[in-house]
Amino acid sequence: MPHGKASPKTYDVVIVGSGAGGGVAAHVLALSGAKVCMLEAGDWYDCTKQSHMLQWPYNAPHRAARSKEKPFGYFDATLVGGWQVPGEPYTNAPGSDWLWWRSRMLGGRTNHYGRISLRMGPYDFKSYSRDGKGFDWPISYEDLAPYYDKAEELIGVFGTKEGLENTPDGKFQPAPAPRGYERVMKIACDKLGIPCIPSRLAILTQPLNNRPACHYCAQCGRGCGVNANFNSPGVHIFPAMKTGNLEVRTGAMAREVVVGRDGLVRGVAFIDRKTRRDETVNAKIVVLAASCCETARIMLNSKSSMFPNGIANSSGLVGRYLMDTVGSPVGGHLPLLEDLPPQNEDGVGGMHMYMPWWLYQQQKAGKLPFARGYHIEPGGGRGLPGAGALGGSDHILGGGYGVELKRNLRKIYGANIYFDGRGEMIPNEDSYCEIDPATVDQWGIPVLRFHFKWSEDEILQAKHMQETFQQIIEAAGGKVLYKSGAEDNWGISRGGEIIHEVGAAKMGDNPKTSVLNPYCQAWDCKNLFITDAAPFVSNADKNPTLTITALGWRTSEYIADQVKKRNLAV
Amino acid sequence: MKDISRRSVFQIIGSVPAVAALTGPAASAATAPYQRKVFDDRQWRTVHVLCDLVIPTDEASGNATAAGVPEFIDDWLDFRNREDGNQNFTAQILGGLQWLDSESNRLFHTDFAGASPDQQKQILDRIAWPARAAAADRPWAAFFSTFRDLTVGGFFSSRVGVADLHYLGNRAVAHWKGCDPKIWTIIEERMKNGYKGVGGEVKPLLS
Repeated sequence: MPHGKASPKTYDVVIVGSGAGGGVAAHVLALSGAKVCMLEAGDWYDCTKQSHMLQWPYNAPHRAARSKEKPFGYFDATLVGGWQVPGEPYTNAPGSDWLWWRSRMLGGRTNHYGRISLRMGPYDFKSYSRDGKGFDWPISYEDLAPYYDKAEELIGVFGTKEGLENTPDGKFQPAPAPRGYERVMKIACDKLGIPCIPSRLAILTQPLNNRPACHYCAQCGRGCGVNANFNSPGVHIFPAMKTGNLEVRTGAMAREVVVGRDGLVRGVAFIDRKTRRDETVNAKIVVLAASCCETARIMLNSKSSMFPNGIANSSGLVGRYLMDTVGSPVGGHLPLLEDLPPQNEDGVGGMHMYMPWWLYQQQKAGKLPFARGYHIEPGGGRGLPGAGALGGSDHILGGGYGVELKRNLRKIYGANIYFDGRGEMIPNEDSYCEIDPATVDQWGIPVLRFHFKWSEDEILQAKHMQETFQQIIEAAGGKVLYKSGAEDNWGISRGGEIIHEVGAAKMGDNPKTSVLNPYCQAWDCKNLFITDAAPFVSNADKNPTLTITALGWRTSEYIADQVKKRNLAV
Repeated sequence: MKDISRRSVFQIIGSVPAVAALTGPAASAATAPYQRKVFDDRQWRTVHVLCDLVIPTDEASGNATAAGVPEFIDDWLDFRNREDGNQNFTAQILGGLQWLDSESNRLFHTDFAGASPDQQKQILDRIAWPARAAAADRPWAAFFSTFRDLTVGGFFSSRVGVADLHYLGNRAVAHWKGCDPKIWTIIEERMKNGYKGVGGEVKPLLS
């Protein structure tokens, strides 16, 4: 393979996983001079060579529709991945319904994610102090702010300075102008006192580090053929490989962390997916970044006489306080937007405007029946027609057929809008993962069993989303096409469905109540670190990837610094 | 660090579809004759007639069958059956086609496909507007809504349909400017004065 093979030598660092967390660790550590080996379970992927950008659904099987193999459609960048991965099961405890998305490819989920890049705010790090629920982080916004700066400057994020409460501004490139339907939404939101501001996405609007600006084809999820959006291979991994300090081993399914008699980790044992042979990478420091649940799985499966409950698990908290994001959708039709002259409304791959949470003071004053907030992600416009184009038209037109229907369909094309809430889940005792004692995957590795439950806070938040989105549609003179009510828990998503899972190895300032110290270093094992979302203490409504990147950067800098100070033996 | 110029970006973009060109079944599907997977001969005839009743030729574009919609529907039912394991979806379509023939035979002593345009219209008018359908016709109204969505989706996602809708994207744009000011003027006028569309009426939103 062109990208090198792990040799029997001992690396300074082995990193498990190549997504946002593994990528940033590899980048920072390789550039600092460490000899790094990265293990990725899936295959090699380079979006500049493998993108499906600018292709047409009518040239693809089944008009490029979703399938089990490709849950986000035929053109999605994901090579192998989804809520089910063949040969790699997981189980749910009775009464639980968790969905676990995995992406087996270089770069993981950074290849197809929404690029939404929101900083957590000062309140989000101290939420227990604010409302008595969940936990405080052992760090503050000020601790992470310099790393948000670095992350944004490297990956490239557009946005605008707004100075809004608990919605920190960043180092932004210029934001793209809004689409027509987004300007209408803003007018409706203004009437309701809901802020509607330019969104913040990791897509270049100006060239950066030899990456060109976006060409506005709206297809980021297919992988960008020119690297204009953030993806871990193009932005973190390939530049790190140019230093000569990073080797990447694909097809390497990590099984467990190897521990020496001194209680320190010695490397990672993995299975080569092609040869099905057990192999080990030796390293002086191990960084887990396999995605929070997979990281917890590796830790729980790393049992030894010194760590009978799994490595670094003396607190018993590995796997605990698993969280996802609260989602709930509403859609509507705006007659205002019917029968307009055609225009290209593609833009970047995602929203140009969004609505950050705005009711902090009302919540503090006890005027809302739930804790924690959500932001709103809108959609709409004259999108690329796929198999479901203009579906459900009878809900707008009442029905019909023939020439009149055909003419009316042209008029309503582009006149629908959508809103999705993305809200904070508070960690709870009922939501966690553990090793299923009876089930293994095709690699012989014991699998995870999930327990998951929303609390009343999340369900009432979904209710508030439903009511708010319907108000926005009505304020724009539209009619609601789909919504949810009490009978289906206000449309609240299934746990794991939003693919924002975080937690399962929380950081803290007390070894009894946390797995990791404030630098994401295992309390029980000083040369083991985590740079994915497992250390997250809460799951603010700010999508996790930017915080994974900033926190992973801080952890990696700490590792390099500790090595320099000879506190870690490298 | 050297910035990449717009010109070189568009050179890169120009090469992408060639690099990532489809190969295998998808590429050859366009030339090979379509192999039916779900419909029998009689159903196939009905599907052709019904598709073109939903999307006929008009001043702007051709009809559903010319755009390959019957093939799309046959393939789609087979595909979703395999993907979702939900037999009821196909059952609704086959059951509805069956009813069209039964009802046409009961009323006009001919299969639906052989009935006159007026006779076909008589039957469709009972089921094409779900809210107006008689209680006894509701299953067939539900069938027709599904069939309409399949036909509409198949047509407007075809090459012909995409052109008909004047979808102008899926291309590289040198400078993104947001909503066209002329179009925004129209939207603003409507917000000031109100607007009556085919999907509802809007009262003035702006003073």
